[in-house]
Amino acid sequence: MTLLEIKDLHAGIDGNEILKGINLKIGPGEIHAIMGRNGSGKTTTANIIMGHPDFEVESGDVLLEGESLLELESWERARKGVFLSFQYPQAVPGLQVGNFLRKSVASIRGEEEAKGSAFRERLTKAMEALDIPRTFMSRYVNDGFSGGEKKRFEILQLMLLKPRLAVLDETDSGLDIDGIRTVSEGVNAAIRGTDSGALIITHYSRILEHVQPDMVHVLLDGKIVSSGGPELATKLEEKGYEWLKKE
Amino acid sequence: MDSASRYLRMETPDKADHLWRYTPWKKVHPTGDLSEIPALGQPEISLNLIDGSKAPNGIELKRGVSGEPDFSMSNALTNSFLHASAKDSQWTLVVDRGFSPGKPVILDIKADDFPSIAHISLEIGKMAEFELITRVTGNSEWFGLLRTGQIQDGAVVNDVVIGLLERGTMLRSDRIEICRDAQVRAGTVSSGSDRTKSDLRYIMGETGGNIRVLGSILSTESMHLDHHIEIHHEAPETFSRLSWHSACGGSSRTIGTGMLTIRKGSKGADASQIFHNLLLSESAEADSIPELEVMENDVVGCGHGTANGPIDENQMFYLKSRGFDEEGAKNSLIAAFLNSTLSEMGGGELHEWLVSELTLQLEALNS
Repeated sequence: MTLLEIKDLHAGIDGNEILKGINLKIGPGEIHAIMGRNGSGKTTTANIIMGHPDFEVESGDVLLEGESLLELESWERARKGVFLSFQYPQAVPGLQVGNFLRKSVASIRGEEEAKGSAFRERLTKAMEALDIPRTFMSRYVNDGFSGGEKKRFEILQLMLLKPRLAVLDETDSGLDIDGIRTVSEGVNAAIRGTDSGALIITHYSRILEHVQPDMVHVLLDGKIVSSGGPELATKLEEKGYEWLKKE
Repeated sequence: MDSASRYLRMETPDKADHLWRYTPWKKVHPTGDLSEIPALGQPEISLNLIDGSKAPNGIELKRGVSGEPDFSMSNALTNSFLHASAKDSQWTLVVDRGFSPGKPVILDIKADDFPSIAHISLEIGKMAEFELITRVTGNSEWFGLLRTGQIQDGAVVNDVVIGLLERGTMLRSDRIEICRDAQVRAGTVSSGSDRTKSDLRYIMGETGGNIRVLGSILSTESMHLDHHIEIHHEAPETFSRLSWHSACGGSSRTIGTGMLTIRKGSKGADASQIFHNLLLSESAEADSIPELEVMENDVVGCGHGTANGPIDENQMFYLKSRGFDEEGAKNSLIAAFLNSTLSEMGGGELHEWLVSELTLQLEALNS
């Protein structure tokens, strides 16, 4: 069964249509990438999948394993296995990272996975893999985090929550080369070799050198105008987006 | 002149008086008959360590207080009334020089069944280093708390008052002097009583005094919680920060008014005050008025601000995307908002204890 299917999706915000008929299928174990210029609709796609209340779907559907997500609240989607790594993760001063992770894992994976030594071991292992110090646990969620710390923290959550579908919205932006490598390893560990899938939204091909996508799609002006293998990302890096407009 | 005579000679404060604008004296007087100083009972008071064990040597609660409070400030009416009413319920918390128990101390005040009052005078010795929680609980219709005293040179004290009355009115007045190089965190956690009027005044009359005044206020249903905070810099190199967080739900109302003064000659003073209000419903109301009086030019800084708003929708979305349902996300954000100041009130053990007390209140919010 297809993991994620987006069917002729028209959507926007404040009455402005941004997505103008998107179709996309991601199978279990697959990693797809969406590339495109600023304003092409990449983040809107991510927000629609996660159920951001500000975005309106005019027509079409978004299905996870055959079930429409559109009528579900974002927390219900999260519990069904949808995960969004935010481009700009929200700071929540006063909410400690440790408590937040426990509650989040308990909500999505169940109480059992959020307690005891097994949880602590998984947490420690994921933190080590992402080079996150233990002192992180007593800090407040994304409060005062550097850009790189925020992105690593998003991937830490990805590794703990083990979603069915991970949408990574410009997870590579603001990261240096080492950061991209570390985060990519985290994504690979969470998705590769599982029957989960991922949709990576990015401007650049750098992250795709570390997380090899099965498919790359180009989004221009709210439509997917081209799809292909990983070589498409390389071509975009070399030639930009203008050539696609001419074709 | 004794306190009773002093009180009875005073005029009823006018609503135009800034201090009484939101909560008139008549509303917080135990009987509403302003010419009366009614007989009030004594609450049960006990002193223990946070783990329930007996308080160690070096700290003692003694009967009586020495001297009278200072009546020169605008809280003279409240203080003379409380002082007169508490003449049979006066206590002095004597803390020896260098006292350092290693665990927080709890002064438990149980105000049950009948209107009661307590005057607690703090005599905290030089170089003492400890955390004090004053917890007020009970079902009394009316409770009055007068706290006066001194935190002496070099002492490092986290002083938290947590008000958890089940109902009724709480009238509180503090007048605490912070001596040379003393470092104080003065926390107020308020989540009980139908009506609270508190007037908290901290005076730094000697060089190097340092105070952080922190508030975590949770008002629900039709509560009316009014806190007035004054910090007075009367000596050089004094430092203060006021950070006051109020979460306001139901049809409740919170009021936070601040007065920061820097007297001429307080060179190098550094002060700021900020009030944050989180509005949890459309009919909840929060008012904050920070004020400054700066008479010295040579200061490090002096600022004030206030911010009101509902729960941040982007924070809600972030938590929901992590599986928190509507109620779970909302409660976590309220708790986080209050925890921002709560976590600054003391060390890990004290903080954990305060969080557990607040969790019970948050649970009650949804019951």
